[in-house]
Amino acid sequence: MAISAAVETDTATHCPYCALQCGMRLGVAGSHVTVSGDPAFPVNKGALCIKGWTSAETLNHPSRLTTPLIRNADGELRPATWADALDCIANGLRSTQATYGADAVGVFGGGSLTNEKAYLLGKFARVALGTRNIDYNGRFCMSSAAAAGIRAFGVDRGLPFPLDDIARADVILLVGSNPSETMPPLMQYFNEHRAAGGVLIVVDPRRSLTAQAASLHLRLTPGSDAALANGLFHLLLRAGRVDHEFINERTEGFEQVKGIAATYWPERTEKITGIPESQLLQAARLLGDAKRAMVLTARGSEQQSQGVNNTLAYINLALALGKRGEPFAAFGTITGQGNGQGGREHGQKADQLPGYRRIDDPAARAHVAAVWGIRPDQIPGAGRSAYELLDTMGTADGVRALVLVGSNPVVSAPNATHVEQRFRALDFLVVADFFLSETAQLAHVVLPSAQWAEEEGTMTNLEGRVILRRRALEAPGDVRSDLEIISAMAEGLGKGAHFQYAHASEVFDELCRATAGGVADYSGMSWEKIEAQGGIFWPCPSADHPGTPRLFEHRFATPSGRARFHAIQHQAPAEVPDAEYPLYLTTGRVLAHYQSGTQTRRVQKLTLMSPEPFAEMNPAAAKRAGIADGGLIALVTRRGRAIARARVTRDIREDTVFVPFHWGDAGSINRLTNPALDPTSRMPEFKVCAVRLESHPEPRHA
Amino acid sequence: MIMSPETRPAPKQRLVVIGNGMVGARFVEEMLARGASERYDIVMFGDEPHGNYNRILLSGILAGTHQAGDTFINTIAWYAQNDIRLHAGVRVTSIDRLAKVVRGEQHIFEPYDVLVVATGSSAFVPPMKGLKGSGAEMKDGLFAFRSLDDCERILAYVPKARTAAVIGGGLLGLEAARGLLERGLEVHVVHLCSHLMEMQLDPAAGAVLRDTLLGMGVHVHLETLTREVTGDTRVEGLAFADGGTLACEMVVISAGIRPNVSLALESGLTVERGIVVNDEMRCVNDADVYAVGECAQHRGQLYGLVAPLWEQARALADHLSGRSPGATYTGSRVSTKLKVMGVDLAVMGDREPLHATDEVVVYSEPARGIYKKLIVRSGRLAGAIVLGDAAGAPMLLQAFDRSSALPDNRAELLFQLSATEHKPSVADLPDSAQICNCNGVSKGALIAAVEAGHCTLKSACEATRAGTGCGACKEEVRAVVELAAGGALREDPSVHYYVAGVPLDKAQLVRAIREQRLLSVSAVFEALAGGSEDPSSKAGLASLLRTLWGKDYDDERDARFINDRVHANVQKDGTFSVIPRIFGGVTSAAELRRIADVADRYDVRMVKITGGQRIDLLGVEKEKLPDMWRDLGMPSGHAYAKSFRTCKTCIGTEFCRYGVGDSTSLGIQIERRYQGVETPHKIKLATAGCPRNCSEATTKDLGAVAIEGGKWELYVGGAAGTRVRKGDILCVVSTHEEVLLYMGRFIQYYREHARYLERTFGFVERLGIERLRQLLVDDSEGICDHLDAEMQRATDAYVDPWTEAFEPVHPSQFVNVLEPVGARGVGEFMVPA
Repeated sequence: MAISAAVETDTATHCPYCALQCGMRLGVAGSHVTVSGDPAFPVNKGALCIKGWTSAETLNHPSRLTTPLIRNADGELRPATWADALDCIANGLRSTQATYGADAVGVFGGGSLTNEKAYLLGKFARVALGTRNIDYNGRFCMSSAAAAGIRAFGVDRGLPFPLDDIARADVILLVGSNPSETMPPLMQYFNEHRAAGGVLIVVDPRRSLTAQAASLHLRLTPGSDAALANGLFHLLLRAGRVDHEFINERTEGFEQVKGIAATYWPERTEKITGIPESQLLQAARLLGDAKRAMVLTARGSEQQSQGVNNTLAYINLALALGKRGEPFAAFGTITGQGNGQGGREHGQKADQLPGYRRIDDPAARAHVAAVWGIRPDQIPGAGRSAYELLDTMGTADGVRALVLVGSNPVVSAPNATHVEQRFRALDFLVVADFFLSETAQLAHVVLPSAQWAEEEGTMTNLEGRVILRRRALEAPGDVRSDLEIISAMAEGLGKGAHFQYAHASEVFDELCRATAGGVADYSGMSWEKIEAQGGIFWPCPSADHPGTPRLFEHRFATPSGRARFHAIQHQAPAEVPDAEYPLYLTTGRVLAHYQSGTQTRRVQKLTLMSPEPFAEMNPAAAKRAGIADGGLIALVTRRGRAIARARVTRDIREDTVFVPFHWGDAGSINRLTNPALDPTSRMPEFKVCAVRLESHPEPRHA
Repeated sequence: MIMSPETRPAPKQRLVVIGNGMVGARFVEEMLARGASERYDIVMFGDEPHGNYNRILLSGILAGTHQAGDTFINTIAWYAQNDIRLHAGVRVTSIDRLAKVVRGEQHIFEPYDVLVVATGSSAFVPPMKGLKGSGAEMKDGLFAFRSLDDCERILAYVPKARTAAVIGGGLLGLEAARGLLERGLEVHVVHLCSHLMEMQLDPAAGAVLRDTLLGMGVHVHLETLTREVTGDTRVEGLAFADGGTLACEMVVISAGIRPNVSLALESGLTVERGIVVNDEMRCVNDADVYAVGECAQHRGQLYGLVAPLWEQARALADHLSGRSPGATYTGSRVSTKLKVMGVDLAVMGDREPLHATDEVVVYSEPARGIYKKLIVRSGRLAGAIVLGDAAGAPMLLQAFDRSSALPDNRAELLFQLSATEHKPSVADLPDSAQICNCNGVSKGALIAAVEAGHCTLKSACEATRAGTGCGACKEEVRAVVELAAGGALREDPSVHYYVAGVPLDKAQLVRAIREQRLLSVSAVFEALAGGSEDPSSKAGLASLLRTLWGKDYDDERDARFINDRVHANVQKDGTFSVIPRIFGGVTSAAELRRIADVADRYDVRMVKITGGQRIDLLGVEKEKLPDMWRDLGMPSGHAYAKSFRTCKTCIGTEFCRYGVGDSTSLGIQIERRYQGVETPHKIKLATAGCPRNCSEATTKDLGAVAIEGGKWELYVGGAAGTRVRKGDILCVVSTHEEVLLYMGRFIQYYREHARYLERTFGFVERLGIERLRQLLVDDSEGICDHLDAEMQRATDAYVDPWTEAFEPVHPSQFVNVLEPVGARGVGEFMVPA
């Protein structure tokens, strides 16, 4: 497989970042890698955003990890051989389990890992470690949408239809999403939608770039999504604009929601959401009159302690609008992380086995155990969810050692100061990454991983389309792929026999077998078929099955085949502004950076574009706090303090401050966010908490 | 007592709730949400025979904006589903606090451990003469306005009345007045006080509101006390204390509400204006009895708005459910947003200043019905009235509810400063302004690129990557590049290239192909593109070469889309559709029988009549295609190709009573002549036998419409797809032969000059119909003979591609390999835009 550095190659693969997984071509000449968009890939049609264009800069980056590191007696991380590092890991994990039991070792994965890695990590936890404690950062991302999808539709696939359907809708309600910045090539579909006369309604406390392109922008109070959805439902009912035929034929539970909707009359809805009644009426009229209406949600409404309820309330709205999305394309959620979809299907989650199976389902356990060559009773039960796993690290009750792959929770978890303390309390921490991330800096052993262009594997994009990433060049130095690393760690634990793979595609083939008969059934796929078809939508249950672009054309995946309405009441967020902390804090992303910034903060062009965190606030809020535009300020919540540069603009509500979350240390806004969890999804409340602004003296230069 | 659940698994307690209105039922919902059904058996009494409904919406029912069904919150079935025993329509007659039993009508006895009184309030009827008719009932035409039943009775009486009086100019009275006005009655509001809505408004606001109502045609009688309702058994009018009278056929009394406390009084609970409760909502003289809602008096205050009452219900549920036994209710800051006769009104807190230091900010604009007043205390909002302007109200309400600090400039509170500023033109933007958001390209960066020699839009975009993300900024990028280049902006030649991979516009390309006699796609790449083959350009070149060379074209099949390789339309599941040609949509019983037999024989999954008057056999696997074609014995309908598709016809003169031209036989002639002719994009035609245009000929790529006098109008460039466009008339002619001639001429010109994948509507718009008339009708450039000859050559070269069934071009042509599905499966999508 080695590719000689002298040979020019041109490889069709996919972008390392978000869930669009844009097709890109990597041209390699020596150590020089050029990136271009791949016009043949139907999702991005050749377009890339600046993160994609600059993605190759991380490959030959000087701060790339190229050898394993072991923390020495002086507490410093020093280069080591793989043999020593793997020995050290085997000893560390074995001794922890010997003293505290199997569950004392935890595994933490990520939503950017390939399907093969996500699968193997889950297998590693259950088979090699025998621990129930595995979860991943996707819990902070898609878990609310996932739980809502399963409740309402019986299955969770972010978009149950291809992106093309966006352009076919007449009116789209886009909630808590800013794709203009977070996934720019997606905007092609919205542009096409608008060019065809479509109307876009954006729900966001900020007038984001996306909201600026909308026909109507609803600037809701943070944390009032369910009230907005119920209020719109009320108006649709009042205007007689619900699709009773669809409701009768394909749904259940409508009557109960109708009763709740009666209590969200416009004046009340206006008071809770802060959206003027005239705009509520306008939105309801647009949606109600549309021939095809579509509701799309994202993290804005989902990353709340009411995230599942919020999503269900928006689903209610979509179901009431009914067959206007025919073939049912009335509701979708926009997955964020690169493999946020596949990452939640293959057993990285505490309560899950591959194929989106439940770990407490005896049939699922038996099937997966047979694939793994173990007894069903050897598979542990459900473990702790991501934040709870991190929150209890190093305590009598929690894990004492952790294996972490493809995530940087010291920056990305809520209440990050506390999470960092918990990491420091671990007896033993192994991190596999390609840079020394903020979390890797706390590790006892750090393993250098290959990057996306240096290895192969499948990803499942936001549409549920499984695509194949191809290797374009060799990894530098002593770097190994995560698959090799996981297998080698299993070897060290004496379970190597279960982890014998000559090639990543063999892991995929096993994954396919493990998912056979499951909800996310990949069993009819193979790398060859994915390549030949240019991607396959799951489920694909047999070799001659073409895949399933549209999931709900004829029935929903519930036992009755009907989609379910849910009676949802608006409930206030866990923390609301008060005299001491008078403003809402909400968080999000900017164009130049991806997640915790481990990759993008190392790309010069991106750093120049967005060098530091900023706090976007209304002039009224700035004036009250005595803050000038462009000055450094401190943001303070009950959990912590962070520094950012003030950006004063009328494009945000007067009661709300927005800060992106891509930075660590003093700029880490997740030191401030609230770990109040959704009772169902265990999603933390990233998007709403109460904050106070203080001016911060400029650092003096000596 | 009742609050020690942890100590023992107590048997369930009996919770009785008197009242099934908006607060009683809400309290029970809150209890259920807190799992209280584990602790309590719940019994409810409701006066009305329904489940519970939203009283707020009654005025909507009266006005016709809501249906009664919209207002129900919980149906009768809901109570049963949640194990609540509801006595609906049963009035409670007494509470025996010693025995702890509630007694209702119909000999119902319900013992309780905990009792919640939520009896609400009822309409206040001021003392006056003539309320009753002959019996004990109210006079015909006289109504209270409080319940769903009241609403229904009022609505039933509306047709009998022309003039209605509403006694009471408070909130509810005005809501009733609005409803009656909407129903077409002349409405008089009779109010005792000196201004309307004195509970919510100050006199100035009341005056503005009165003027607004007068403008709507409502008659307002202020400071007027009604002495008597006149009429024997039915309402005939009102007599006032000042001696005045008003003739009317119906009267609605809506003069405020009074808490329903007689039951509590009779049972010995402490009652002042309402049932007196402490912060736990517990009655002060009976620890087992609670009261919530409009009947409860808390810290001396009675509440009538739903928000504070629901707060009481929530606090009581926290307390009684055991979720939070220490929960208390400490009073509410009252604010509300409502519509008074369609006029927006927000009121909150104090109406008038209380302290000398209170600031009062007032803005009044009576002509537009606007009045705004703020009471500011210690930099926070202590009260406000906002009448007639809805926009600013949400922000003020939230500032009041949260008691947040106000801006120093109070005007910011009164007037919405626009959040949407006009976009300046690019010339006015600073160099740092970001033009392309996706790639973070500033105006300065684009200017620098132009100055470095990237003087075309395309090369400036390539140099900076502007416009390569979502593409939404292209217009702005163009504007900046034009600005920067001054007059030096060169038009990017590549926008005129016929295909991206060969740097020639169509005319140059055609000339080169002819001169160098390039017969194949690869020969074109070799000769004109330096040998580098651009896959995305192949299909366009193949189409052009076929147009130019006809039979001599060297067909390299990899240049074709799958559709063209197998002469069938690939569907999203990878199967194909087969559409045989049916000339002019005219078929025969024998032909239909043959199609039916083929459909049976090959397990065709769907047989569909198409929009082009043909029959589509769907769901065919690739291997079966040749056999099907053979068995059909009909030519290909070319439903898959960039070519002439169909000519739709109407019945024409043969059977139709209206036809003035024989559109059917013309359509057949057209289809026979032009079948299979390749074009830059598909073309669909139609002929219509009269201007009724049943075959929709005016929105086809080409259409012929018969008009009086046996003439034909020839339309070109129509569209009815993603775009709808009526075609332009190219010419009016007299014979079928002329129709065929001009159609052929247009098609040939389109073949030679349109860009690949340019539909006729775009082509016609680009050239303009005037120009086309000059070229094709007036022959201004002398090209018509050439066009006609080329078209003749093209039609002569036609071979039915389905004859390949007898002689496959290569052995695996129809062997099934996996073809792309989904978006990629559709031919058009495979071409980069």
